[in-house]
Amino acid sequence: MSTVRYRPEGLDNLVQQTNFSKKELQVLYRGFKNECPSGVVNEDTFKSIYSHFFPQGDSSMYAHFLFEAFDTHNNGLVSFEDFAVSLSIILRGSITDKLNWAFNLYDLNKDGCITREEMTDIMHSIYNMMGKHTYPSMRDSAPKEHVDRFFQKMDKNKDGVVTIEEFLETCQKDENIMHSMHLFDNVI
Amino acid sequence: MAAGVAAWLPFARAAAIGWMPVASTPMPIPPQDKRKAQDGLIILNVSGTKFQTWRTTLERYPDTLLGSTERDFFFHEETSEYFFDRDPDIFRHILNFYRTGKLHYPRQECISAYDEELAFFGIIPEIIGDCCYEEYKDRRRENAERLQDDEEMDMNNDVTPVNLTFREYLWRAFENPHTSTLALVFYYVTGFFIAISVMANVVETVPCGTLPNRSKEMSCGDRYALAFFCLDTACVMIFTVEYLLRLIAAPSRCKFMKSVMSVIDVVAIMPYYIGLVMTDNDQVSGAFVTLRVFRVFRIFKFSRHSAGLRILGYTLKSCASELGFLLFSLTMAIIIFATVMFYAEKGSTATKFTSIPAAFWYTIVTMTTLGYGDMVPKTIVGKVFGSICSLSGVLVIALPVPVIVSNFSRIYHQSQRAEKRRAQRKTRLARIRAAKIRGTNAYMRYKQNGLLIDALEEVAGQALVGKAASPPFESQHHHLLHCLEKTTNHEFVDEQTFQANCMEISVVNKSGSRTSSLSSSPHGLSSCCSRRHRKKSSFSLPSTNNQELSTIQIRERPVSNSRSSLNAKLDKTMPLKCDEAYISPSMVRLSAPVATSSDDTSTATTTYSQSNIVRVSAL
Repeated sequence: MSTVRYRPEGLDNLVQQTNFSKKELQVLYRGFKNECPSGVVNEDTFKSIYSHFFPQGDSSMYAHFLFEAFDTHNNGLVSFEDFAVSLSIILRGSITDKLNWAFNLYDLNKDGCITREEMTDIMHSIYNMMGKHTYPSMRDSAPKEHVDRFFQKMDKNKDGVVTIEEFLETCQKDENIMHSMHLFDNVI
Repeated sequence: MAAGVAAWLPFARAAAIGWMPVASTPMPIPPQDKRKAQDGLIILNVSGTKFQTWRTTLERYPDTLLGSTERDFFFHEETSEYFFDRDPDIFRHILNFYRTGKLHYPRQECISAYDEELAFFGIIPEIIGDCCYEEYKDRRRENAERLQDDEEMDMNNDVTPVNLTFREYLWRAFENPHTSTLALVFYYVTGFFIAISVMANVVETVPCGTLPNRSKEMSCGDRYALAFFCLDTACVMIFTVEYLLRLIAAPSRCKFMKSVMSVIDVVAIMPYYIGLVMTDNDQVSGAFVTLRVFRVFRIFKFSRHSAGLRILGYTLKSCASELGFLLFSLTMAIIIFATVMFYAEKGSTATKFTSIPAAFWYTIVTMTTLGYGDMVPKTIVGKVFGSICSLSGVLVIALPVPVIVSNFSRIYHQSQRAEKRRAQRKTRLARIRAAKIRGTNAYMRYKQNGLLIDALEEVAGQALVGKAASPPFESQHHHLLHCLEKTTNHEFVDEQTFQANCMEISVVNKSGSRTSSLSSSPHGLSSCCSRRHRKKSSFSLPSTNNQELSTIQIRERPVSNSRSSLNAKLDKTMPLKCDEAYISPSMVRLSAPVATSSDDTSTATTTYSQSNIVRVSAL
């Protein structure tokens, strides 16, 4: 039981900082506080929550990357403000904001470009969530092939890394990606 | 999925944005969320205590009462809330389940009340959280045991049917010696003979003085061989007869033969028969002497007579694992210490520790702190290890003993509680019976009043006696019973009246009356009444003047002179006091043939050949 007690700033501040309405923030906070009574989420709680939604596979790696993306202050804890701000970007932000956020997720060391190793890690973590029992059965080379396809599509100048400009440009040209970015806008 | 985690589903879905850029195929369409504007507060009024929660909280578990449309049945329009006429204290826990996803069991609540509430709200008890599950299961098991005990008691005490087969009767006599005096006598006789037999076994080894022509002292068994043999024969014959009777009477012979008590019985009597068979054979007489040792097992037959002995045996059986552990650890320690002592004492001269097995004896005697002193270490090393051995012995034995003791205590207390419940049962049943009788009498009074009023209304055209001030529930129930009587052409009576009828009135054609809801000695009555089955005599209606002041006769079909008799009873009406909770009265079905005889028309003096006449005493 952690003794950290963290209270978010006032509701009005949050309404200004994010694109959520008051009611939406209320619903969000209630769910947040229910699961994390101390007011902050640490990585283990984060992973356990996420694992509830993907029971067949191992979601801990992807949850770890997610946590890194949410933890904007890099202090190992995600407070409600971080949570709400990130969600606001994902759900209510502009398409550029969303793509930026996704890029930030993939860029593990936050140096502005995605290397092959980083992408491979991300891909492995996504495939891990599937678990063993898939159809067709999971080959070990599947993530690597997917990474190759990704780099083929994104890496325009073939320098082995994907920069933010390349990423934005390619994504904005891809219809599927554009469409799917708006898929979850109504979850709250 | 835990309720709280369900609130994070929107977050998990939003985080799926991270997959989108790497996906190469289009995504499926998300489901339409139509119920978005439904989140509002719900007020739950449980017996006056108001609980409020979000609608979505309740709808997390749609297969329960509160989460489904079933709760609409409890919606109270005037106050716009859901009203439940249940226990608010237990409801608190149920509502917490919706909020946190964990169901807790409060220790101070009664287990059956809690189970009922759970069943009402449609929650399965298996989802009780780990923190409270053990407690819940224990309480439930105790409750089930208690109910089972009660049932067994019911089966044993209540039903005493006369038509048990001889075999079943015998078995009952053996299992519960208190049922009949013959069984009790047999019980004590066998106990006496067990004691005699055991004492004879003991006494026959005592030295009894010498015969003149022998120098050696003889034991009593050799001196009075014939007397002891006769005694042994008598005892064995009794035991054999008892065993055979039990075998015949047992409902399941195989099961009986495999039971512990039967094995003890067999072991107790076999040595005698084997001794009879091989009398003068010298070679096997050695074995025969060994067999005589088994005669001492007769003492275990006392366990049928003593509950404490049975408890001890049951305790040892239930502590088998602890005993096994004790034995195992002792064996380990014995071997270790014996080895050490042997090698420590190897050097000293004329030592008794000649081998490791020889050292076992020393180790056992030392570890159990007996210390006979027949073997003692002489070297210093030996003495050091000897003292370590005795210290560790105390520890090793002291550890499993409290477990065994606590088991014995628990089982003993359980049996004591069972005894107490049996004793309390009698008073409880007596109280229940008294309440039933009160209910019956209330009904009888209602009927008198009702018939009086009917009669008066017919005669005088107005109700002279107001309806008695009984609560509407009771009067409606009484009316219902009355309708039943009219339908079946039978009437309700109370116990005493029925017995009185059996004794006094020799009524025509009583073909086997049965009580249906009496709980005590129904068959006594039935046998009594069936004996009067064949007597036919005419029942003459006494004239009004001779009628006893304390009884009212109510007939199936009222006739004119009965009304006059009822008129005379006007001032005898007692006010009804229906203050007790209504309990169904005992109903006596007199299964009389519905043959109508011509006598039953409304004539003044009639002989009633119907058996539907009962006498009810007004209180």
